[in-house]
Amino acid sequence: MRWHKRLLAAGAVAAVTVTAAACSGGQVRGAADSTPQPGSSAGSAGGTADSTFVYVPNLDVVTDWDPASSYSNENIAMENIYESLTRYNPQTKKAEPRLAASWTSSPDGKKWTFTLREGVKFHTGKPVDAAAAKAAIERTMKEGQGAAYIWGAVKKIEAKDATTLEFTLKYPTPLDLVASAGYASYVYDTAAASGDLKKWFGEGHDAGSGPYTIESWQKGKETELTLKAFDGYWGGWDGQHYKKIAYRVTPELTTAWQLLQRGEVSFVQRLNSQLFAQAGSTDTVQTSQTPSFQNLLVLFNTADGPLKDVKLRQALQKAIDYDGLVAAMKGSGVAASGLVPDGLLGNVPGMTPKQDLAGAEALLKEAGYGPGGKQLDLTLTYAQGDADQELLVTLLSSALDKLNVKLSAKPLQWTTQWDQGKAKDPSKRQDIFVMYWFPDYADAYSWFVNVFHGEKDVQFNLSYLKDAAIDKEIDELPALTATDKAAAEKAYADLQNKIIGEQAAVAVPYVQNYQRAFAKSVQGYVDNPAYPNVVFVYDLKPGA
Amino acid sequence: MPRYLIRRLGQAVLVVAGVIVLTFAVMRLVPGDPAVAYAGPKATAAELAEARRRFGLDDPLPVQLWNYVRDLLGGDWGTSLHTRQPVRDDLFQAFPASLELVGAALIIALVVGIPLGIAAARYKGRLPDLSVRLSSMLAVSVPVFWLALALQTVFASGLGWFPVAGEYDASLDRTSPLHLYTNITAVDALITGNWPILTSTLSHLVLPALVIAAYPAGVVAQMTRAALIEESSRDHARLERALGFGETAVLTRFALRPALNPVLSLIALVFAYSIVNGFLVEAVFNWPGLGRYAADSIRSLDTPAIAGVTLLVAVLYVVANLAVDLLQGVVDPRVRAR
Repeated sequence: MRWHKRLLAAGAVAAVTVTAAACSGGQVRGAADSTPQPGSSAGSAGGTADSTFVYVPNLDVVTDWDPASSYSNENIAMENIYESLTRYNPQTKKAEPRLAASWTSSPDGKKWTFTLREGVKFHTGKPVDAAAAKAAIERTMKEGQGAAYIWGAVKKIEAKDATTLEFTLKYPTPLDLVASAGYASYVYDTAAASGDLKKWFGEGHDAGSGPYTIESWQKGKETELTLKAFDGYWGGWDGQHYKKIAYRVTPELTTAWQLLQRGEVSFVQRLNSQLFAQAGSTDTVQTSQTPSFQNLLVLFNTADGPLKDVKLRQALQKAIDYDGLVAAMKGSGVAASGLVPDGLLGNVPGMTPKQDLAGAEALLKEAGYGPGGKQLDLTLTYAQGDADQELLVTLLSSALDKLNVKLSAKPLQWTTQWDQGKAKDPSKRQDIFVMYWFPDYADAYSWFVNVFHGEKDVQFNLSYLKDAAIDKEIDELPALTATDKAAAEKAYADLQNKIIGEQAAVAVPYVQNYQRAFAKSVQGYVDNPAYPNVVFVYDLKPGA
Repeated sequence: MPRYLIRRLGQAVLVVAGVIVLTFAVMRLVPGDPAVAYAGPKATAAELAEARRRFGLDDPLPVQLWNYVRDLLGGDWGTSLHTRQPVRDDLFQAFPASLELVGAALIIALVVGIPLGIAAARYKGRLPDLSVRLSSMLAVSVPVFWLALALQTVFASGLGWFPVAGEYDASLDRTSPLHLYTNITAVDALITGNWPILTSTLSHLVLPALVIAAYPAGVVAQMTRAALIEESSRDHARLERALGFGETAVLTRFALRPALNPVLSLIALVFAYSIVNGFLVEAVFNWPGLGRYAADSIRSLDTPAIAGVTLLVAVLYVVANLAVDLLQGVVDPRVRAR
């Protein structure tokens, strides 16, 4: 055999070997049902002729299919598959009926009775009754993963009859808000699988009661997940609704934008500021901007180092160029007013901070620093790769430079930044810690109990604030929210004045802003910041 | 030949062993706690402890290395912290798509690069030669990310000649389910006669494959030109010209075969390079290959997945090098004697 023929043969063998190595053994990709769905042609997403809503996320959709432990990006699908007892409305700042048609609580806020909607069925065909809801929530609590801690106040759950579900709590808590959480609040059929339920979920099955159910899931593929309408949905399918949802993962923002422009997709989760501006002036596309429940916290070390002096912390608060930062973010952030974002009980209007360099200089001088005085050296850690945080650091460094304050800022991976923040040796900790915070359910308590309540071992109290009076007030918040909303509102305002004003433990430069772009034909879209990035597709109408 | 084969195989095994140790060291040197990456930023101390126990992070480093090597040899490449699936399964899902893309790109590179190299050698120093040299230099030096965005904007979004992104039209999954044998979509569609998916895949392949083909096509054109010019200056070419063969015939009938030897060797090496070079292209065109998996893994600090991708790419390089060496040994006995 001549050399090139041998070469060819070797090449052929190699190709066969590679192919065989990748061999997966005759599986089928795609639905076994090969019947085309009515009006499901590609290329006109969002139109009446096509009732498929195509959602473009930037990251993989599903990490964990188990509704008990799911705690990641899959919420964008789970909220369309599963339902919780209530759903939060940021306009009214209240929980609204979902699986529960109504509810009451005892005057002390320790007993909550939910009346479930009648005639609701799981996708498995079994009824959604009080016993099933009890079993689901108890399983979630027992698994204890993800956001299961939200049920921490629950002492006992009883199914009084088919539609009455009663919770007895260890301490007063606004359980209607807890039950509206974006994670760990789902009611699901715990008897859906004959064997290991977790494994069954992991194979891409669902046991929810929501308007959509899983049609296909192909991990790693571009269209990772497709949901189809659940015919037995209690809300019914009269009127115009999308009958399918496809999740088309597109990490590259320019690609996402081009797909939307071409009408291949209905909704893009995120665009950069230039593309978002372009979307705003494109006829076939509409946009929406909604402040999220996620804000940036600049936490000052109140326990150790130079910032132990409250005057220096107040000087730093005044040195931040809040307006300049928000302007430079070109719409991806909005000015914050206090610790609690708008749309949550506890938000205080009129607390938007302003830069005051003269005031900062005066405070620095009082503490023996500032121009003409000693140089103040500070360390700051922030999230690597976060352009908005980088912008904050650049503006802050520049402002502080003029005040004779040298800022040594380190961009770090979260785990490294957090490890340093939690260091046992206080001298190894930073002076300023920058991080985002968001609540797992629509309750401002999350900021206070996690970030500013005294801790034995540091977790998220990275300003290291220890104030018995503040701790006491924080501990009273759940009871007040459960029993007396007006008093809770007042307590939240008072706490914010203490933490931001008197203690100067934190500065809040901005609240992240959701910027969505979607097809003109999509009607009825309202962003709900309590459920980050979720589109409740059933509520939409596919327009012309 | 057997001694040569054993020697080269031994060297390859040593390199792979080195890569395994290096990968393990990098995994452990990356700042941050993998347990936090798995359990989430709001995990409790008990959840973190459970994650550490589960991944053996409490064991001494040598024990962890031993377990890592043992598991690798046993086919267990660890569990992805991000997808929660075995890394080996994830790689088996993603790699065939990359193979498909790079395979198509290399076919384009050969089909375009070799004729261009011949034309350049035939008209050495004249306009065609200058054009080929200039265009191949451009093809080699243009950043793939920029080229990908440019082609996508002009030919997909602007002119609408090709799809913007994806491997094939996903709605075909409903109308034309694909039976998988190799996991390479185009190959499976061809084998099973699934024409809708085949035509859709081919139209989706064009732009990303062209972008990845740019670099190897440029290199192949330049190398073919250089090898042909060298070959056509040898004694046998003078004899062929004296026998009345024209310049084109001398190049294509006599000089091309020996000149292709280094070109084919190069292709094997360029294959592994293109897999990595294609990561950015996959991101732009939403190609569901290793690139997207690697990008997601890096973003979520998924060390087992990053290690898996690194190891796979390293093994590809080693296998490609080994294949080239062995093929050269088959072709040229002098190589075996070295």
